[in-house]
Amino acid sequence: MLDALDTPYLQRALLAGLLIAVPLGLLGCWVVLRGLAFYAHAVGVATFPGTVVGVALPVLGPFAGALLAAVGFSLAVSAAERDHRVRGGAVTGLALAVALAVGALLLTLAGAGVAPVEGVLFGSLLAVSNLDVLACAAVGAIGLAATARLLPRLAATTFDEEWAARTGAGDRVAGVLLLGLVALVVVSALPAVGSLLVSALLVVPAATARLLTERLESMLWWAVGLCSLEVVGGLVAARALDVPPGAAVAAVAGAGFALATAGSAAVGFGRRPRPA
Amino acid sequence: MSEPGEVGLRADGLSVSFDARRALVDVSFEVPRATFAGVLGPNGAGKTTLLRALLGALPHAGSKWIGGRPAYVPQAGAVDNAFPIDALGVVLMGRYPRLGWRRRPGRADRHRALEILDAVGLAGEARSPFGTLSSGQRQRTLVGRALAQEGDVLLLDEPLTGVDTPSQEVILGVLDGERRRGRTLLMTTHDLGQAARVCDLLLVLNETLVAVGPPEEVFRPEVLGRAYGHELLLLGGYTALVDDAAHHSAP
Repeated sequence: MLDALDTPYLQRALLAGLLIAVPLGLLGCWVVLRGLAFYAHAVGVATFPGTVVGVALPVLGPFAGALLAAVGFSLAVSAAERDHRVRGGAVTGLALAVALAVGALLLTLAGAGVAPVEGVLFGSLLAVSNLDVLACAAVGAIGLAATARLLPRLAATTFDEEWAARTGAGDRVAGVLLLGLVALVVVSALPAVGSLLVSALLVVPAATARLLTERLESMLWWAVGLCSLEVVGGLVAARALDVPPGAAVAAVAGAGFALATAGSAAVGFGRRPRPA
Repeated sequence: MSEPGEVGLRADGLSVSFDARRALVDVSFEVPRATFAGVLGPNGAGKTTLLRALLGALPHAGSKWIGGRPAYVPQAGAVDNAFPIDALGVVLMGRYPRLGWRRRPGRADRHRALEILDAVGLAGEARSPFGTLSSGQRQRTLVGRALAQEGDVLLLDEPLTGVDTPSQEVILGVLDGERRRGRTLLMTTHDLGQAARVCDLLLVLNETLVAVGPPEEVFRPEVLGRAYGHELLLLGGYTALVDDAAHHSAP
């Protein structure tokens, strides 16, 4: 099966995918446990106009353009959500649509051929450069270190915000750092899976992992393992069926979740609370 | 006023307002060290606000003083029961505030957490997912988390509401043990009878402090009537409280 991955560009794609799978899986767990899945998807989409601007302006570059867009999006959404009349993801959904529209408009204005729209939206895993691989390695290391350091605070706050805030076991800083890390990881994963599919690798492996275990530490490692498996499976499928790798990776992730749901229902892991 | 070393908890003219609404007005009291104090009062009387203000978590006027490190058991219902953690993990969280950013719980912390689980009668459930425990077992675990904080002053917000009677007895036994060890306890409750039975000192609150004293002084119809108003029924020597503790399960 692995001789399907015999060419240098496939091996580079595999390496980049496996490296970025580490922070995607780890941070994805916190995204799932804290109910941030929609936000994470929207951050991915918000990078679309940023990437277009970055490609059109070589002084900026696609990475910095996407990162600026992701950070700007996070700040704008948290500011707008302070108005309690528009909550429950309304602002996020609105900003997501606006970002997609602005990206499409900018792409037209910049002229066809400036940025390959399919690559920006769905990624081009087979076209990742050595620089992309290095970026994935750096972000992987940052994600691993930050998750280990923030784990107690994030756990205490996610489990019981009131207790954590009053006792100093957790605070807002950890939550804000988490949002920043999610933006960074999303941007680093863009060359591989694109802005529309990045949440498939951030959310789906973690959600699948949650079905497989009742322990936080094992959920984190399951998520990393599943994310890696899905990258490998997606690449193999893309090569064998001659389909776009980003879409293949996302489809494999979806199939994995469906399998875990069916298994969870049949075998009964993921126990229900006992009655009081 | 007592000597500083003998005071566990003190409030002096403590007032809290949310926007224009007054939640707590000019509350002054002193709880001696190693005392189990109960806070009574109707819904919206400011019981939770008092605990949060004592923890220093709310902007307030006046002053408060806590004799040592506080530990806290918040009201049930705010906890994410679906979070993937076992009973031991929840109790270990009580160590986090002392460990700070850099250190993770070590062997001594785990040993202490297991002792605490044993004390709250959950030695056999250490590895059980929190969400699969009964509500009484969950509350015992959360009391265990506060014990793991090893505070000198324990602030408990309705730790017995919605908890089965055997679990209530376990929790009260553990709290009495803490008092004997010199810890000061302040517990809000809706159960007047239980408060009279287990507490050394009662604070009756309704925005202002209506009364403070030992149960036999506080449990007089005119005192409780001032705090509870029409919610209180006096039936020939028995006092019945018409109250709905159910509002606390609302989000």
